[in-house]
This record gives sequence, C-alpha cells and structure tokens, in this order.
Amino acid sequence: MVATVSREYERQLIERARARETAALRELIDLHKDRLFAFIWRMIRHHHDAEEICQDAFLKAFSSLNSFSVDYRFSTWLFTIGYRICLNRLRSRRTGTADIDALALSPANGETPGSVAESREACELRSQVWLAVDRLSPPQRATVLLFYRHEMSCQQVARVLELPVATVKSHLHRARNRLREMLESLSEKDLHEYRSLSGLAG
Amino acid sequence: MNCKQAQQLFDAYIDGELSQALATELGAHRVRCNECRRALALLEVSGHILASGDDSASLSDGFEDRLLACVEKEASFGNRFRRVLYVAMPLAAAAVVALAFLGVFDRSQGHVLGEKQELVIDEADLDPILRALDMDDAGDELPGADAQAIELDQWGQRMQKNLQSFQDLTIYQWLDVLEKAKDTSGIEDHYPGADPLAEPEPAAEPPSRNTGNGGV
Repeated sequence: MVATVSREYERQLIERARARETAALRELIDLHKDRLFAFIWRMIRHHHDAEEICQDAFLKAFSSLNSFSVDYRFSTWLFTIGYRICLNRLRSRRTGTADIDALALSPANGETPGSVAESREACELRSQVWLAVDRLSPPQRATVLLFYRHEMSCQQVARVLELPVATVKSHLHRARNRLREMLESLSEKDLHEYRSLSGLAG
Repeated sequence: MNCKQAQQLFDAYIDGELSQALATELGAHRVRCNECRRALALLEVSGHILASGDDSASLSDGFEDRLLACVEKEASFGNRFRRVLYVAMPLAAAAVVALAFLGVFDRSQGHVLGEKQELVIDEADLDPILRALDMDDAGDELPGADAQAIELDQWGQRMQKNLQSFQDLTIYQWLDVLEKAKDTSGIEDHYPGADPLAEPEPAAEPPSRNTGNGGV
C-alpha cells in the first residue's frame, strides 16, 4: 500500500497546503490517515491514544511544512513524526502491557468461517502472528510493520526510523526469528493448510 | 549446503535477493531438510499474514473534520500571538528600561528615603510585575514600606537581580505582566510630585537601619 499520487502532484499539494488551502490539507489527510493510523495503532495498541497520536503527527507535520523538503515523500516524513511520538508515548508508559485494546487480543471478530481462508485455524494463526508482533520491541515491531504491512523497502524503513539500513536489516532478521520461535508450536497440518490455500510456494 | 549455511540465507531468500544459483541450491536443501523447510515455511506464512493486513481498528468518524478544526485553531492562535507580540514587546522593553532606571538611579545615588519622603509605591500597583518576577518576599507592601528608612541601595540591587529574571520570563508570563500593567494606574503618581530624576532633599539626620520589616 504505497502512495498513489505522483511526486509532482504531491509537490503541488504541499505547496497549496503551505498556503493553508483547506482542500489541499484535507487531501493530504485523506491520502495518509488510514495507513498512518494502522501503523500507529499497531505500535501503541490503544485506539484512543492512536487517534490522538495520529492527529498530533498531522498537526506537527502541517506546522512544519515550510521546513519539509519536497525531495522526500510526505508519507515518509509523516511516518517518522508518528513513530517518534509513538516512542515517546511508549516510554512514558510504566508497564509494557498497559492499555492494550481487548480487541487486539481477539481473532478477527464477526467473521464467519466459510472459505478456508476464513477458517478457524486461519483466524487462530493470524491472531498468533499479530500477538507475536505485539511482543516485539518497538523498533523491531516498527520495522516489521513498515516492511510487510506498508511495503516499504529497507531503505525507506531506514529513513522513517532514522536508522542505518544495516540496523533495519538486523531488526528485520531478529524480528523474523522471534516470530518463528513464537509460532514454533503451530502444527504441521495447520501450517501446510494455510500455505497451500494462501498460494504460498512450497 | 548445510543447515547453518542455509539459515544464513533465509532473509535474502525470502526477500528475493539471492542469486539464481544460490536460490536453487537453497531450494534443493529445503526439500531435503525438514527443519529448514519448516523454518522457511513459518517465515513465509508470518510474512504473508503481516502483509495481508489487519483491519481490526480504524479511525473514528469525523477524524478529518476534527483535525482540520485543530489546524484552523492553531493558525488563528498563531496570528493572534504574533499580533500581541509585536505590540507587547515594545511595551515590555519600555517597562524594563523604566524599572532598570529607577533601580539603578536610586542605587547609584545611595539615597535613603526619610520619613517624610516615604516610599509610597503600593505593592498593589506593582503587584502583577512583582509576581511575574517571582519575588519571594513580596508581601502586602513593598519591603520596607513601613520602615522609617529604606535602603534603596539594597532595593536597587534586588531590582538589578530581578532584571535578569525579566529576561527569563516566558512569553506567557510577559503577556500576563503586560496585560495587567496596561491597567495599572500611573506609578509616577506615587512619587510625591517629584521627577524621579531630580535629586531628593537630603535627609535631616542619618537614617537608622531598620530591617525589622523583612528588610529590602
């Protein structure tokens, strides 16, 4: 899920947003709010806080638009701001597991097992994977989310997280190993079933 | 290829960064080795699930409108703040100069106010400014107001010290000071009829030092 507007169009949009044109601001929000919220929510695991952080990230981005360089993608910058705010919020929490949404702990709600992709086993497997992600450290979690969910390259992830590419790759490697360890108890049957029905090569 | 070599290539293999030759060799090892096959399968499945997304949470309705309202509010506050700043700063500068002048002049003259030329600056008049300076012992009246003699030398030293505090005021404290200072009736009214620049009449007798009232 990458930005669907061209660089040139984005530049024009930002110029108009700098002039505080409401339509341009609204369009920027519309283009990025869902992806940003999805990332922040997965980092923070609390709906209200995630919305607040999402709002703060946009406000900070808009207030600093004059210092933003159009050589970079707006989404990269926006995600960087959001990530920084997330880190500050996570640091200010006393416990690592406080305020996690109950919703996050349940499998996809409201889904009726019908096709195999929606089977109980698949839902269970999805839950386990996302729970495993929740247990990663913030930098590893952010790396995994940006790499897989937001389809960013290691270079783009490095820009967002303001880390060297080698560090990002190291985070990715460790996160993958941890996910694999946490899923070790998964049965061969379930694993095979998921792979074959998801079209994964094997 | 052994398992240790294969495991070192897992990341590159999953990311499609291996050369054709190495990818083929790892693929062949995967077929032969159950452990490596399972490890790769788990990595692929977890990656697939992560990439598929997670729609269990979404923004509440009206998020965009609320955000734009905040943007508008911040923009108008910024404009109002700039206007106040451009008006308040010259006033603030004038207030600092005036207070500094009063403090330094009196200190340099080394005069004390005798009984008749009582310092009648009411703390109420300067109260907002004093509070802004966070003068700890600013009581109901200026220190020494009741005293028979006030050592302006010490008072001036305090003023000079507090001038530094002026510079350290946050902009919000400044605005508060000036907002109240605008309503302050003329301080000069409390210098009994005299131009502060004029030399005061010499005291009839040397004043006695009195620090009983908290001292200046």
